[in-house]
Amino acid sequence: MSPAKKRGAAASILVDNLWWNNPVFVQVLGICSTLAVTNNLSNTLIMTTGVSLATAFSSATLSAMNKAIPAKVRMIVQVLVISFYVIIIDIVLRAYLPEVSRSLGPYVGLIITNCIIMGRAEAFARSNPPALSFWDGLTSGLGYMAVLVAIAVVRELFGFGSFAGVPLLGPRWTSWTIMIMAPSAFFLLAMAMWGLKTLQERMKGGKR
Amino acid sequence: MSPEIHPLTLLVASIFTNNILLSNFLGMCSFISISKDQKSSSGLGLAVTVVMAITMIASWAVLKLVIEPAGIGYLSFIIFIIVIAAIVQVLEMVIDRVSPALYLSLGIFLPLITVNCAILGAILFMQIRNYGFLQAAAFGLGSGAGWWLAIALLSSIRKKVDAAPVPAGLKGAGITLVTIGFMAMAFIGFSGMVNVQ
Amino acid sequence: MKKDSIAYTVGFTFVVCAAFVFFLALANELTKDRVAANQRLAERRAILAALGAEPGPGESADEAYLRLVAEIRPEAGTPGRASPLYRLGAGETAAYAASVSGPGLWGGISAVLAVDAQVSRIVGLELVSQNETPGLGGRIGEAWFTAQFRGEALSGGRIRVRQGSGSGDPDPGNGELDAVTGATLTSAAVERIVNAGLASFEALRDGGKLR
Repeated sequence: MSPAKKRGAAASILVDNLWWNNPVFVQVLGICSTLAVTNNLSNTLIMTTGVSLATAFSSATLSAMNKAIPAKVRMIVQVLVISFYVIIIDIVLRAYLPEVSRSLGPYVGLIITNCIIMGRAEAFARSNPPALSFWDGLTSGLGYMAVLVAIAVVRELFGFGSFAGVPLLGPRWTSWTIMIMAPSAFFLLAMAMWGLKTLQERMKGGKR
Repeated sequence: MSPEIHPLTLLVASIFTNNILLSNFLGMCSFISISKDQKSSSGLGLAVTVVMAITMIASWAVLKLVIEPAGIGYLSFIIFIIVIAAIVQVLEMVIDRVSPALYLSLGIFLPLITVNCAILGAILFMQIRNYGFLQAAAFGLGSGAGWWLAIALLSSIRKKVDAAPVPAGLKGAGITLVTIGFMAMAFIGFSGMVNVQ
Repeated sequence: MKKDSIAYTVGFTFVVCAAFVFFLALANELTKDRVAANQRLAERRAILAALGAEPGPGESADEAYLRLVAEIRPEAGTPGRASPLYRLGAGETAAYAASVSGPGLWGGISAVLAVDAQVSRIVGLELVSQNETPGLGGRIGEAWFTAQFRGEALSGGRIRVRQGSGSGDPDPGNGELDAVTGATLTSAAVERIVNAGLASFEALRDGGKLR
């Protein structure tokens, strides 16, 4: 499928998850829980880091216990494992980054229902060893992070005139309220998807 | 903490001005993939509304009667997920026994719902905003109905959009997101409407 | 034992659940004190900010709070007041703060409101939590909105939030403040919450408690 297949397994997973099979703009997965916080770069970074770690650890754990899980309760066990890591993330945030935890509100908990985590657990971790599953989960998260961070940079810059909380455009900048509000996230994501997909098509065409 | 917000305000607000999908982005995954088809969209929307209303009330009860008295707030994510999964399972069995016809139209969507972030999201909002019973019930029903409205509208719009000449890179998810963006903007227009206070 | 037997399924689920809950309880226990300390610190920061007091150089908010602010617990049986009052300074020039809260459009809004000893001026308002729509009502959390409350003289003992330029009312003498554009209901909610807080400060003043 992708030209990256010839390299080593780990490298090919990396390239695949970041580019050819990016969870956001190719698979359109998991945007629910994070798109809402993309009007602020720091929050987005923390959220997507949380998603990457949760995906990596739950993929590894589920891959390790794959043989032992009875078929009937497979889904509920998956959800349990994912919730476990998300709660750990929530506890760590509350203890060490209280401000971030407060501004993220319920969205940390929503990492549980992020479809990427479930998706990787089903599609990859089920048939691969733990270490490779961990790597797959982590890189999927990174591919996800890359797109959302790009959106967050644009939204925060135009919406608040700042970059990661540092005022950049000066006091005379009139903030674009639309950038703080929901519709801009849809438009920006669509634009990112358009650009990146077109580029991907071109690269595929060039290789042929 | 917020006993005075009128449940009716919440009901209207959660359907229109703060639609859980259009302003909180919750439940996007199934939203984008299912909205291709009008009939399934309506089915899934109905299922989400029913499950959302029931789970919201159940989670409210669990929160007030179990989680808060026992002081196990840190476990609430897991408990809510189990509540949702259990209710979906029970609902599936009940519908199957009572009305096979309804099961055919609704039942196939039920398993999809356990992992629908809109449900867990609405419950977590209920927890963090500390709603009372009536508020929680109104918010649950409104959020579900709002999600239903959004997916029903989108699936009809998509039917037209699919026939339109769209640039290759924007086809599918891309143009759907643009459409959702316009819908979200239109829904902001409802902002002045909620005056039930 | 067969993997798909009921006994195995139930046993497996039980063991997994028990193990996870054990680890989560452990993690929660280990961080409990820290979380509580964080909450106290955030509360103290808000009180200091509402009172217009800055921690000195090299001083933490906790230290500044303990040095500057006197906590007045309500006497047992005081009607209508359950939360403590915070005092900065003494006598005529003292400033008093208390937490105020009420419903916004989506959920509770809670804040710390500080007034002078005569309850003729607002010393400051600091939002602690709100769940309003980001970009609309959520903008009550922005600095320009709360900054207009600083030093605002009351007119008739109350404030009024009215539609304005949306960049903050520049006149601290008229008891009027700019609402957030497009968030009339949230702005009105803030007005109600602040005015209710002012009323209870007045009751305390008339009861001779603000001395």
